[in-house]
Amino acid sequence: MTNDNLIQVKNLKKHYNKGAIKALDDVSVDIHKGDVMVIIGPSGSGKSTFLRSLNLLEVPTEGSIFFHGIDITKKSFTDENGKKVKVDINLHREKMGMVFQHFNLFPHRTILDNMVLAPMKVLHMPREEAETKALGLLKRVGLEDRANAYPIQLSGGQKQRIAIVRALMMEPEVMLFDEPTSALDPEMVGEVLEVMKELAQAGMTMVVVTHEMAFAREVGNRILFMADGKLLEQGSPEDIFEHPQNPRLQDFLNKVL
Amino acid sequence: MFTLEGFLGLAPYMRMFFEGMVTTICLSALTVLFGFILALVLSYMRMCKIAPLRWISTAYVEIIRATPMLVQLFLVYHVFLSGVSFPTFKIFGFIRFERFIPGVIALCLNSGAYLSEIIRSGIQSIDQGQAEASRSLGMTQWQTMRYTILPQAIKNILPAIANEFVTIIKESSICWTIGVQDIMSVVNAVKAATFSMAEPLVVAACIYFCLTFPTSKIIEHFERKMSRGDKR
Repeated sequence: MTNDNLIQVKNLKKHYNKGAIKALDDVSVDIHKGDVMVIIGPSGSGKSTFLRSLNLLEVPTEGSIFFHGIDITKKSFTDENGKKVKVDINLHREKMGMVFQHFNLFPHRTILDNMVLAPMKVLHMPREEAETKALGLLKRVGLEDRANAYPIQLSGGQKQRIAIVRALMMEPEVMLFDEPTSALDPEMVGEVLEVMKELAQAGMTMVVVTHEMAFAREVGNRILFMADGKLLEQGSPEDIFEHPQNPRLQDFLNKVL
Repeated sequence: MFTLEGFLGLAPYMRMFFEGMVTTICLSALTVLFGFILALVLSYMRMCKIAPLRWISTAYVEIIRATPMLVQLFLVYHVFLSGVSFPTFKIFGFIRFERFIPGVIALCLNSGAYLSEIIRSGIQSIDQGQAEASRSLGMTQWQTMRYTILPQAIKNILPAIANEFVTIIKESSICWTIGVQDIMSVVNAVKAATFSMAEPLVVAACIYFCLTFPTSKIIEHFERKMSRGDKR
C-alpha cells in the first residue's frame, strides 16, 4: 500500500433482508490524499450507503475499509510490534469530517457551541482556544456575525456552511459530503458549493455524493458512477462526461445533463 | 356542610397538618429522585441491544402499568418487606422510618415505570441525524447521549415529566393506608377527633394544590429556558 492511499475499500458489501437487497455489491476503490472524488448515480444506487460506510455510520455486511492501513471494520488489528490493538472507531471518525444532506446542526446550541463542542469534549481543547478557532473558521465562510445565533435562525445555505466548518474544527484528513446541496433552495446551492470548492483548492481530501454535475466536472478529479449498488465506471471528469463507456452511465448522463 | 366553627376548630391541628405536609414533600421528593434514576435504567435497558434486558424492562413496565397502585403498595409493605425489620426511629421527630421507606419504595417502583416510558419516547423522538452528526465528530456513544440527545429529549418531555411529578405528589396520599403520616392521614386523625371530615379535607386539598401548582410552574420555567433554540 502506498503512502498516499488514505482510504482503501475492498470488496465492500451491504446486504439487507439476508442478501435479497444488495445496497452495496462488491465495491472496491482507493481514495488518495488530495483526491476530490465525486460519486454520481441514480437515486437508490448505493452512493450514500457507500459514503456512510466509510466512517461506519453504516456497518457493511462484508468487505474491508482500510484507513491509514487499519481495517476499521474489524474489532482489532495487529500493530508493528505484533500486539493486538482494539480498533477505536471514534479515533477514526475524528479524522473523517462528515456533512449531511439535512445539516444535522444541534438545534439546542448556538452556532459557536455547535462548533466548539466536539473539540472540547473529544480533543480536550480549552474553550478559549476552540472559540478563537471557531471564529476564524466562521470568518472564512463569512458568518462570523452569526456566532451566537441558533441554527433555526439561519438559512439552509448558512446552516450547511456552518456544518462544514463544524466538521473542520476537528481538522479532519478527509471530508465526506452526503448530498450537501440536495435539501437547499436553488439560490443557496452556490454559496455551499463555493465553500466546498475553496476547500478542494486548499488540498482537502474529499468524497462527495452529489447531483451537481457542474460541480463534479469542475472540482472533482475522479468521478465514480454507481448504479444498483455496483461501481460501474470511474475515471477523470473528462472520461466520464465526454467519453462514457457503460450504457447505464450514458443513459444517466442523457437524463441529467 | 362547611361551618366556620369547623375550620376554626382545626386550629389545634395545624401542627399536624404541617408535619403531614413535610412528610408528603419528603415522600414525593425521594420518589421523584429515585424514580427518575430507576426510569433512566429502565429506559436504557428498553433500548439496549441485549434482548433479555429489553424483555425484563418491557415486562416490568407493562406489569406496573396494568396493576393498581394500591395493590403494589400493599404487596411491597405487607408481602415483600414484611420480613424486613427497619430501624424504628422518626425522621425530624415525626416521620416513622419503618412505614416511610416502604412507601417510598412502592412509589418509586410505580413512577419509575411511567417515567421510563416518557424518557424512552423523548429519546426516540430525536432525529437519528443528531446522533450521526455527534458520532461523526468523534464523540462516544455516551458523549452523544449526554451532550446531544438528552438535552433535546428532556426539553421535549418536560411537560410530560411535570405531569408525572404532580401525579406523584397526589398519588403519595395513598401511603396513609400503610400508616405513613402524610397529609391524608392527618385528615383521618382529625376526623376521628372532631367527627367532621369536610373541613380537614378542604385544608388537605389546599395543601396539595399549594404543592403541585408551583411544581408545574417551576418546570414550565425550565421548559421556556430550554426552548431558546426554538425561536426564530
